[in-house]
Amino acid sequence: MKPEVDQILGLSAQQLMGQVVPLLPNSFAMGSVSVLGMMMTFAAQEYERGADIRVRENADMRALFREAAGTVSDADLKAQLLSAAETRDPSLAISALNLANADLRRLLIRLQAHAEEKGERALQRRIWDVLKASAGRRLLRLA
Amino acid sequence: MSGELAQRLEKYLAAKLGESALRVSDLARIPGGASRETYRFRARYGDVERALILRRDPPASLIETDRTTEFRAYQAFHRLGLPVPEPIALELEAAALERPFFVMEEITGCEVASILNPDPYGAHRGKIGEQFWSVLGRISAADVDDIGLGDLEGERDASAAWRHEVARWEKVIDEDEREPQPIARAALRWLKRNPPPPAQKISVVHGDYRTGNFLFDAKGDIRAILDWEMAHLGDPLEDLAWALDPLWAHGDPTHPAGLIARDDAIRVWEKTSGLKADAKALAWWEIFASLKGLAIWISAASEYAEGRNTDPVNAFSGWYCLAFHNKVLAERLSA
Repeated sequence: MKPEVDQILGLSAQQLMGQVVPLLPNSFAMGSVSVLGMMMTFAAQEYERGADIRVRENADMRALFREAAGTVSDADLKAQLLSAAETRDPSLAISALNLANADLRRLLIRLQAHAEEKGERALQRRIWDVLKASAGRRLLRLA
Repeated sequence: MSGELAQRLEKYLAAKLGESALRVSDLARIPGGASRETYRFRARYGDVERALILRRDPPASLIETDRTTEFRAYQAFHRLGLPVPEPIALELEAAALERPFFVMEEITGCEVASILNPDPYGAHRGKIGEQFWSVLGRISAADVDDIGLGDLEGERDASAAWRHEVARWEKVIDEDEREPQPIARAALRWLKRNPPPPAQKISVVHGDYRTGNFLFDAKGDIRAILDWEMAHLGDPLEDLAWALDPLWAHGDPTHPAGLIARDDAIRVWEKTSGLKADAKALAWWEIFASLKGLAIWISAASEYAEGRNTDPVNAFSGWYCLAFHNKVLAERLSA
């Protein structure tokens, strides 16, 4: 079995910080390379989970929009929610998932502002559940 | 390159200080944040040898900050006897070193805490904690006109200080977001719908008062409060809330800044500032602090992604810090 990208990045970061950083001539270079090593460990995490996070987040938002369309009275917003709920991610490429995610987030912002304006508590709670889940999944581990 | 920079700096300082024999040596770049290039160097003239710091504008800055403000804040609080380096020279013209810069005293023999270190202060945690929160109290207590900073950027109307800051950071998000930010937008709406009480007084707000922005020595004494580049006039609770933010807690939010317990921290600040940390007002400013964090990290991500400032700290901020503050705000706003 060949080494996977996240393993290569993780081990390279360890070697960078353990073997290269102590040899550097000044604190600026040491600090900069340490941050680069940290970014490699983050990139390793993202390699493994990046597509999964976005697919789940997009699915959560579409499910939320489908539910919300049943209760929202604003006709234009309702139509947008129904339309967005029927969309599909065009591929699993991160760039494609990001584009779809941005469209869905834009609509989520509009829906949340609407729910606040109308005092729709249950919908607000449901939206926060989606946002909390998203924020939790996107946290990065330092070590 | 640093040889050429050293020569130009030497020429500038020799003229500025009226010391034609002044020599610059040991010029080396050191970490100092993404908004300024920071160098340490030695200046020798006559029998004098001084350890100095050069803070030069980068080609692009994380947040547009005013080096004049930073320099004047150092002057004012150095005169007041707070632990800050002595400012030496401010140059706004690009002729000398290609970009504006200032020079100040280097505080030697000290450490700075990394936010990645779970226990940077060790046995000195309590002593440094008392000093950290009491120095902030003294900054909050200072009369802005008496110390000559009454004309800093910001808001002098105590009932409008919050609105001024929300508008400032909303503009940053509007200009720099590369993707929709639902949690930041929800926070902005919440902050506007639930305004805090008027500020008890208008103070100088350091703007980035936190662990990692001060130097401490081996005896556990704070020797220098740094990075005044975001100083402005406003509600002193803004600084208190920023310093209390969980991002700076070294993993333990019950001990903000990785120092003393939260209640003790607030008590020390209240005692030295002579102000009250009203729980409801502080809660508003803590939501604001995390929103301000998001704005800064969104800006950092934009700087990096668009190639204007590829300091890896900007990439770190745009990934780790952004995700952290989104989580903090989602938890707080949904409670």
